[in-house]
Amino acid sequence: MIQLFHVSRVFPGDYAALSDVSLAVTRGEFVFLTGPSGAGKTTLLRLMFCADRPTQGQILVDGCNVSHLTRSSIPALRRKIGVVFQDFKLLPRATVAENVALALQVAGIHGYERERRVRRVLAQVGLEHRATALPPQLSGGEQQRAVVARALVHDPLVLLADEPTGNLDPAMTIQIMDLLCAANARGVTVLVATHDPGLLARYPKRVLHLDKGHLVKDSEAVSVPLRAAQA
Amino acid sequence: MMLASGIYFLRSALEGLRRAPLLHLVSITAIAFALLLGGMARLASGALDSLLVASRSQVELTVYLEPNVSEDEAARIAQQLVGLGTPARVVSPEAALRRLRNELGDLGKLLDDLPQNPLPPTIELELPGSARGSARIDELARRAKALPGVAEIDDGGQAVAQLVRVGRALRFGAAAVFTVASLAAVLIVAATLQLTIYARRQEIEVQKLVGATNRFVRTPFVIEGLIEGLIGASAASLGLAFIARILAPKLTPLLSFVADRAATQPLPSGRIIVEVLAAGCLLGVLGSLAAVHRFLRT
Repeated sequence: MIQLFHVSRVFPGDYAALSDVSLAVTRGEFVFLTGPSGAGKTTLLRLMFCADRPTQGQILVDGCNVSHLTRSSIPALRRKIGVVFQDFKLLPRATVAENVALALQVAGIHGYERERRVRRVLAQVGLEHRATALPPQLSGGEQQRAVVARALVHDPLVLLADEPTGNLDPAMTIQIMDLLCAANARGVTVLVATHDPGLLARYPKRVLHLDKGHLVKDSEAVSVPLRAAQA
Repeated sequence: MMLASGIYFLRSALEGLRRAPLLHLVSITAIAFALLLGGMARLASGALDSLLVASRSQVELTVYLEPNVSEDEAARIAQQLVGLGTPARVVSPEAALRRLRNELGDLGKLLDDLPQNPLPPTIELELPGSARGSARIDELARRAKALPGVAEIDDGGQAVAQLVRVGRALRFGAAAVFTVASLAAVLIVAATLQLTIYARRQEIEVQKLVGATNRFVRTPFVIEGLIEGLIGASAASLGLAFIARILAPKLTPLLSFVADRAATQPLPSGRIIVEVLAAGCLLGVLGSLAAVHRFLRT
């Protein structure tokens, strides 16, 4: 589903956010992307949905080389991908339902079908009773669930989540992770960027470890004891 | 599907107008001003065209007689002109002065102060418009000039040529003024819309991140520009009607020297209103396209 070949991203000032990263994620896989702050996790995710371009290397998403995508082809790629942003990126003046519906609106899905899908996904994330609320009226956990709903409402092939539980309490973290796991169970390929070792311990999945822009470890289903990770 | 998209875009555009009414008012005023200028020029050139058509539809050969020619002599000369094959009508100096007083309307009172009537007796010969520029006119003028007591012949050709020149200059000037004013209006619309786009940049960023095409982002702003253009054009049309209502009664007597009153009513026609509305829409859309294009390019 996702393949990176010798991908590098160098920012002005010769700061290499990613250096020669190669990896492959198969369809339906759940992968954690971990590493300390500044390791290149967010940069890697941004390259996958074409929010940024690699300085070198090739990136394939669902067979499409996103490194050479023209501007006009980017929207089609993004409609295959759901993104959970670290800073939510919810529209403050639009209701939760309108925020979620936006992903369908841009894809040309209107009317009853749009309403049905929005209702369904809001029920999945437990926000159906907050559909008419504005984002500033929601708690952090509710906002994060609204973002997950928006990322899932158009049935993406890939879900990219950048620190989706970064500001949440443990109970809310489990709720959000359960939503991502449920999406994965439905066949969605999920990549979660996190530096929370507790998550890696609780959810034994494949882990890609980045450090200073280098992919330093690619491990299947880590088996860190939960208590040790929380210590 | 198209209808649903259209409703979404329209709602989004109206929301944009509602959020920054003052900014949009600036754009609407700029469009209205540009169209008012263009419309006034268009009205003036339209009135001039009517005059030209009216003046070309008939040829009136005016034979000016010597001031000392009596009424009997004038009648005799008129008979001779009828003999040349055209109806002739004698206009005495008194009748000519009365006519001038009527044509000048309120200004006609000025003629009361004249110590004596300066107008000579004249004979008016009416010919069909098809005769203009033909050898028949020249021949008639040449033979009339040869008659004793005739001082001068005027076939109105000079006045028409003058009108054509004025019309050409007016059209050129109007085009230049309209172009400059329109350009300014487009720039103002683009600048104000850029401010509203900047205020909504977060919304646009999110739209793009979830897969919106440039067309999806652009359309509500184009509709905003279209609405601004329509409102500005409507205001300009009202302004034109108002100006024409005030100016028409003042202009008509002045223009009636060269054509009758029916041909000199400068009220905006339905066609001019449609042109103004179309131009308003075009200015609004061009301004919004320029603004969005610049934003999406960066």
